[in-house]
Amino acid sequence: MKLALRVNGEALEVEARADESVLDVLRRELGLLSVRETCGIGVCGACTVLVDGAPMSGCLLLAPLAMGKELTTVEGLGDDHPVQRAFAEARGFQCGYCTPGMVLTAASLLAEQPRPSEKEVRIAMAGNLCRCGSYVKIIDAVLGAADQKEDAWTS
Amino acid sequence: MTDPRVTGAARYAEDFELPGMLHARIARSPYPHARVLRVEAPPGCIALTPDDVRDLGRYGCQIQDSTVLAVDRVRFVGDPVAAVAAETEREAEEAVVLVDADYEELPAVLDAVEAAQPGAPLVHSEHEVSGGRAAYFALRPQPGTNVCHRFSIRHGDLDSGFAEADVVVEETFRTAAAHHAHMEPHACVARWQGDALEVWTGTQTPFNLREDLARVFSLPEEQIRVVCPPMGGSFGAKTFLRSEAIAAALARKAGRPVKLVLPRSEEWVTLNRHAATIELRLGARADGRLVAKEVSCYADTGAYADCGPGVAQKMGFAAPGPYRIPNVRVDSYCVYTNLPPNGAFRGYGQMQTAWASERAMDLLAEQLGLDPLELRLRNVLRDGDRYCTGETMHDVHFAECLEAAAEAIGWHHDRRGKGLSVILKGMQTPSRAAVAIEAEDDGAYVLRCATTEMGQGARGALTLLAAELLDVEPARIRFPDPDTAVVPYDTRTTSSRSTYMMGRALEVAAVDLKGSGGRRGYGEIVDEGGLDPDTGQGVASTHWHQGAAAAEVRLDGETGKLDVVRLHASIYAGRVVDRPAAELQTEGSMIMGLGTALYEEVVYRDGQVANPNLSDYPIPSFADLPERLTCDLIEREGAEIHGLGETALPPVPPAIGNALASLGVSPTDLPMTPESVVST
Repeated sequence: MKLALRVNGEALEVEARADESVLDVLRRELGLLSVRETCGIGVCGACTVLVDGAPMSGCLLLAPLAMGKELTTVEGLGDDHPVQRAFAEARGFQCGYCTPGMVLTAASLLAEQPRPSEKEVRIAMAGNLCRCGSYVKIIDAVLGAADQKEDAWTS
Repeated sequence: MTDPRVTGAARYAEDFELPGMLHARIARSPYPHARVLRVEAPPGCIALTPDDVRDLGRYGCQIQDSTVLAVDRVRFVGDPVAAVAAETEREAEEAVVLVDADYEELPAVLDAVEAAQPGAPLVHSEHEVSGGRAAYFALRPQPGTNVCHRFSIRHGDLDSGFAEADVVVEETFRTAAAHHAHMEPHACVARWQGDALEVWTGTQTPFNLREDLARVFSLPEEQIRVVCPPMGGSFGAKTFLRSEAIAAALARKAGRPVKLVLPRSEEWVTLNRHAATIELRLGARADGRLVAKEVSCYADTGAYADCGPGVAQKMGFAAPGPYRIPNVRVDSYCVYTNLPPNGAFRGYGQMQTAWASERAMDLLAEQLGLDPLELRLRNVLRDGDRYCTGETMHDVHFAECLEAAAEAIGWHHDRRGKGLSVILKGMQTPSRAAVAIEAEDDGAYVLRCATTEMGQGARGALTLLAAELLDVEPARIRFPDPDTAVVPYDTRTTSSRSTYMMGRALEVAAVDLKGSGGRRGYGEIVDEGGLDPDTGQGVASTHWHQGAAAAEVRLDGETGKLDVVRLHASIYAGRVVDRPAAELQTEGSMIMGLGTALYEEVVYRDGQVANPNLSDYPIPSFADLPERLTCDLIEREGAEIHGLGETALPPVPPAIGNALASLGVSPTDLPMTPESVVST
């Protein structure tokens, strides 16, 4: 079937089956390879996509249910978003496989809560797993992003 | 330029594609041990069945016990019996469930201690030692048993040592099987060009993989090319031959490239960490001086040895711990069982024996009425001491690491709920590294070496070192993905050896480049050494990783829930090359150690993995972090680089276990789940 989706600010029509996930469609049809599958059951956050600004597991969301919603992947943030910069500055990653999901969840948190406490960061990010264990520096990155640009990108 | 890892531009082995490629899936055994009577692939499907691989060579990095698919016998639940290839992944998934097979069940053995006893069902009837380069030490398989390697240390006179002891601690410790849970699955693409094979795969061991593929397909190694894109994590999982031979055999049969990405659940039957049982006896004089130690280790290597013999050997020579002990006897057994194969895992055997050894030190301190820190400081190896292997220890910092760790958690103020541990960890010895540096016309330099990147930061560290040696900006250094067609031979990217070994090869190459016109330089480093497997004498490691951990815990006595409030590691780093990366590796090791300590366990029911997913096999998340997690990297002016990719993992579980023991619950088994804590 043809699906009308809005992805990273663009209105697109893609070919997909009704039982396919947003994760599969974004990767195969749109080549958005930053969205990645690790667990496939909504536990790890590697497939995080912002759906109308809220982080969701792309592996659990059926593609037809995403119609009418605004989907954002890390490609949609460009390459100089304050959260991306903060992650790079704090070295908040190792292999980088989980990083796009981390960046999106952090961006969503900071859009809602521009000055989170460390505890709030830990709670908000707990749905994104990093097996390399970069957590300490990811927390530094999120708090650093909050410090740097308190209001420039919350809109 | 922003790092590709934050923009989504990073590409891994999983993303590699070739025009016209097919997608593969593997059909696996439902029995832990059975005779294979019949395997039939669905009609009209490109498939590989046992008859297709019967004439291919056997492989195995240390013991040649593996075939591309199980032929005649399956040896664990998950042993591959067939594979299919189709135009899409979905079609391959649909086809693989139609593979039809008949089996006749055989008695299985599911515990390493039982499997090592005479009369246990044999997983393999023979143990053929590999002639390959990954069999870097003398192997001692025990014919007619499930023991595929026995490593021993004989040092001093054990009986007279124990006769001198005022206090003896005797205990059996167990550590569970664990899974790497690397976030990117195993992924490879195989393509044949005539008689030449090309494989793109996430691997830490390109040359060992090439050697095993050459054996399987009876090809000269030069006819095989292995290219290694970055990995989305590995931690030892992506070592030696995993599923690459299946992809290659399918590609040859199909006449088209084949891509094989493992579904998540199949990761748990591809490679795990050795469960271990460690029987330990430790004797000391009343003043705390250690006089004798006896250790038996049983490492469960599963149905195929992989590098289990090496793991058992390292388990064995780490078992004495970083202490002066005049009388030592160690026997470490690598034992086959009918469980999925176990192999390299961050910490490589050292975690298992550090758990036993460091818990035993606290048990001893308790009996002696000594401060556990003081007991350790009275016995730790110092510069110039000899280890039980006979080698002299240099650049030794165990006491310094311990004292720094103790200080970090306020050990001297109050010891309740607190624990310490200290470990030594060997680096693969003997070991070889080589690199070529090529000047480009635009003023940049290209590094040609086999060091692979899995997030550990070797690429970054080597780039910084090369930039420093060549006196250029790091942006002028190019580091293409390792490709065995163009890079010189290197042992492998394991054992925390790359920055140390390849870094020194780079120094030689830079000198060669400057002395030969500035266009090309070549550097090679060979560290000799090794141990006699029957006496454990020789050189275990040309450079020792040293580290200590300290933990503070809070226990809910009613539920058994254990919270780690504070975790600190002090690691000897020699000279730090890339500080943030070194901290990331240390913090990452500590967090992985936290998972090992508290909840990670591959659960088997009748030989089948009962928790092959990330909801039933939990790994640490932000929510599990201690309130404070810190580390320090101890440097020394003029010191050489010390590897540190794993050092902080092994000391974490015993530091937490010792902290728990200070609250009156004395654990012997890992993980320390609430259930086990309340029943201890």
